[in-house]
Amino acid sequence: MTQSDLDRDDVLLAAGGDHDAFERLYRRHVARVASLARWLLDPSDADDAVQEVFIRVWQKLHTFAGQSAFGTWLHRVAVNLMVRRRQTQGRSRRREISDEIPVMAAAGISERPDLRVAIERAVDTLPAGAREVFVLHDMEGYKHHEIAELLAVDPGTSRSQLHRARLLLRQQLAT
Amino acid sequence: MSDPFTGQLSALLDGELDDLARARLETHLGECLDCTRTLADLRAIVAAAPHYQGREPARDLWQDIERRLETEVVPITSSRPAVPPSSNRPFTWRHLIAASLLMAAVGGGAVWVALGRGTPEAPVAAATPEVAAPELDNAAFADQQFDAAVRDLELLLAQGRDRLDTATVRTIEQSLARIDDAILEARNAIQRDPANAYLSRQIAANMRRKLNLLRVATQAIAART
Repeated sequence: MTQSDLDRDDVLLAAGGDHDAFERLYRRHVARVASLARWLLDPSDADDAVQEVFIRVWQKLHTFAGQSAFGTWLHRVAVNLMVRRRQTQGRSRRREISDEIPVMAAAGISERPDLRVAIERAVDTLPAGAREVFVLHDMEGYKHHEIAELLAVDPGTSRSQLHRARLLLRQQLAT
Repeated sequence: MSDPFTGQLSALLDGELDDLARARLETHLGECLDCTRTLADLRAIVAAAPHYQGREPARDLWQDIERRLETEVVPITSSRPAVPPSSNRPFTWRHLIAASLLMAAVGGGAVWVALGRGTPEAPVAAATPEVAAPELDNAAFADQQFDAAVRDLELLLAQGRDRLDTATVRTIEQSLARIDDAILEARNAIQRDPANAYLSRQIAANMRRKLNLLRVATQAIAART
């Protein structure tokens, strides 16, 4: 049984009020939602945001039509909620201009066997503006025009921050 | 490595270069080993990024979440309240059900239309303004509308169950049976203790769960149509 099958059954049970089924959904997805919260919000706000995401999802379960994977739907709910949370808390958006990043000649990171885990750790070290765009674009699959709307930045800024993030990650992963 | 080309590597990966710029960059890549290696590394990062595992929160948040699941009520918005705002009558489970059924009935209509099985008149009729008029008997309204909304959704489920796999249908039926048992048990108990607020809330919550479950199930069928 795939995770998608497990999710589908548990969504049905949870929509019928089954807390155990909803806890299983929580356990399967909380790590990614918690990382999203850490990357998009202040760390001190992350736990509260994660709780709010799952409560909102519980309340909206009956609107989940099953046309996408539950995880995809959950992440959309999470990102929307976290972005709104930033706005209401007046978090200042960093609009750093992309500094010139010295490009290493031969990092060779594509051969690293632990690349996925290493990227996840390295994302923590990115400057906020670059991190937010990298998380939304490369990790969550948002388009630049969507990111521009979510973060209230220009699409060109989103593109340059993304390129900057990728180069910084390459640099970080090569060390 | 040439800077103008380095700056275009992400755009190349994301398919955002026009034909001319892409052709120029590809020509350059054929001559520049550094840019070729950088592109390979960026491509590896982009390919790996969506598959992150995430990191659990430092403490288990489930207990706090579970405590809040039933206490935080979704606000029900309606152009007309189910009871007049000036009323001093206590807010009973029957009012709660009446208000929530207005929303549920509209949802049922949406599913009806999505499945192309008919016009939405029947389900939407349940949400016409007169049903929320204060002079109506709320108890009768709640029971009738709940039964009507459930009947509509059960019909859709019966008609579309072939589109769901057996395991899913079994899950739905088991869950519905548990909810029905809970409703029946609470209804029997409240006949012996009509003023019991806890039992009233239990009945209202389980009726709402049944409607939610039926709506999710019929939406799943609609998604497979």
